[in-house]
Amino acid sequence: MVEWIWDPIVATAAILLGSLAAYGLLIAGRRIVKPKPTPEKVKTYACGEELKPDEIHADSEQFFSPIRRVLKPFYRYIQPAHTGALNTYLLWAVVGFIIILVIILLTVR
Amino acid sequence: MIPHAPILAIFLPLFAAFLMPVIGILARRRDIKHARELFAIGTMIAVLVIVASMMSEVWSGKILVYQLGGWPPPWGINLTVDALAIQMAFMIAGLGTLVMIYSAAYMRRDTGLSYFYTLALLLMAGMMGTVLTGDMFNFYVFLEIMCIASYALVAFRRDSNSIEASIKYLFIGALGTSFILLSVAMLYGVIGSLNIADLGAKLAIIRGAAEPVPMILVAALALFVAGVMIKVAMVPFHIWLADAFTAAPTAISALLAGPAAVVGIYWVARLPYLPFGLPVGIILVSLGLLSMVVGVLMALTQRDFKRMLAYHVISQKGYMVLGLGLGTLGSVLGAQGGLFHLLNHSTYKCMLFMCAGVVLFRTGSQKFDELGGLGKNMPVTALTFLVGALAISGIPPLNGFVSKYTIYLGGIEAGLPIVTAIAVLVSALTFASFFKAFSSVFLGQRSERFREIQEGPKLMLFPMLAMAMICVAIGLLPALGFDIVGPAQAAAENSAGYISQVIGGI
Repeated sequence: MVEWIWDPIVATAAILLGSLAAYGLLIAGRRIVKPKPTPEKVKTYACGEELKPDEIHADSEQFFSPIRRVLKPFYRYIQPAHTGALNTYLLWAVVGFIIILVIILLTVR
Repeated sequence: MIPHAPILAIFLPLFAAFLMPVIGILARRRDIKHARELFAIGTMIAVLVIVASMMSEVWSGKILVYQLGGWPPPWGINLTVDALAIQMAFMIAGLGTLVMIYSAAYMRRDTGLSYFYTLALLLMAGMMGTVLTGDMFNFYVFLEIMCIASYALVAFRRDSNSIEASIKYLFIGALGTSFILLSVAMLYGVIGSLNIADLGAKLAIIRGAAEPVPMILVAALALFVAGVMIKVAMVPFHIWLADAFTAAPTAISALLAGPAAVVGIYWVARLPYLPFGLPVGIILVSLGLLSMVVGVLMALTQRDFKRMLAYHVISQKGYMVLGLGLGTLGSVLGAQGGLFHLLNHSTYKCMLFMCAGVVLFRTGSQKFDELGGLGKNMPVTALTFLVGALAISGIPPLNGFVSKYTIYLGGIEAGLPIVTAIAVLVSALTFASFFKAFSSVFLGQRSERFREIQEGPKLMLFPMLAMAMICVAIGLLPALGFDIVGPAQAAAENSAGYISQVIGGI
């Protein structure tokens, strides 16, 4: 049954071969240019202002902002519902129990 | 098999826990270094050997029934070790040993380590008891031992965040255990027995009768399911988990994400067949799907390393519950996938928390916005995190792919291709989330203050590397995993065999 589901050795060999071929193409297409870095060249600028490494970190909450926009209803209602208030959370658990009870009642009886 | 192995697997960590304060005092007086750490690791290795000694006998199809005090079931308390229980016990012992090794380095800056190891060993004893017991009330007692130890461990550092998280965990966890106790009391009131096999046999007779199932049994099942779901942290019962895993010392987060996750899922696998044997497949599939989706979407927006991992615990447990739910709807692959995912997830999630722990240990931060570029300083941690991230995202050829793929096939086998589609989508979102995590912590520009940061201590890297190797090995040789979960899945469904071997048949 396992062989039918997934032959990992063949698949891994194919993945490695594919990766090697892709890397070979990358190497073959690369122009050989001798880098000449100077301290000024490797600095990061934004609107003419030099930024320090600590200041150029992507905002982790907005990292996938398109996904947040697509799933706006979820993030508008479900995320704020995680209030941290214990009594709300206990209410969720009790409501969850009632829903389970109703489903079992409908299924069993 | 080592004589008295089932009871030794529970009593050894229990006695070691109570011996730990004495070891601490002796070590301080005689100036013996690392005595508590060595004692805890030694205890866990011994437990692992004891559990391993039972495996061949159990995998040959036998169910080990250990009668406490020589009293036969259902009159006396018994421990019952079938292939499902042995999978869980092996995972608890194996991952527990690795977490203890990790803790020896991770907790070295803390004080009160005698308390820490006492509680950690109590947690181990509780976990082992919940999966090996053949008695419902004993299950409740061991569950309470496990839970009370984990509430205390979450609050171990006694800062405001950990105390708040622990109190939330305590209240919600207590609600869960109260549900379970009430369910056990109702069962005892109606059936007059606490032995799981005896309850299963008597409930089968009630189910077989022409009359509808009594309302009190429906209520008992609903209470039991809700109690177990609180422990498993399925949405909407999940709310304790993110705070507890974020605020606990990372060694404890790893312990709760790995070995402790086993206990809840064990009962999710058991309860559709024993003792109730009533249909709960729809509930399991619904809660599993809901948890997968809500968990991953919450994880996507997190700014905190450990909090993101915590939400992924909810999402990945959703996969397990979904797979086991599909199993009750007739999909063997679904049930095997659920149990296989438990084996895999416990390994790589434990490892991912350990990676987060190494970063926190060295940098003092677990905020994505403060970290970055650490791959240059911590190549081993970055590599193991990458292995874990790819495994949890279901990328071939790692172990996570095999179990997720089996669950996808389970969805199709059960005639629910939409479930498979959602599961694949959640895997893609999981990958996106871990891409962010890897990029935020290990890639990009490194802050000036992290220039001199070093790789984690070797004692912390060893268990991480061991787990990374397990992830690769099971991915390349999935038969290793199927050899464990195949008999476990068959044992979970074989309630007649369980009953006949424990009490001699229905």
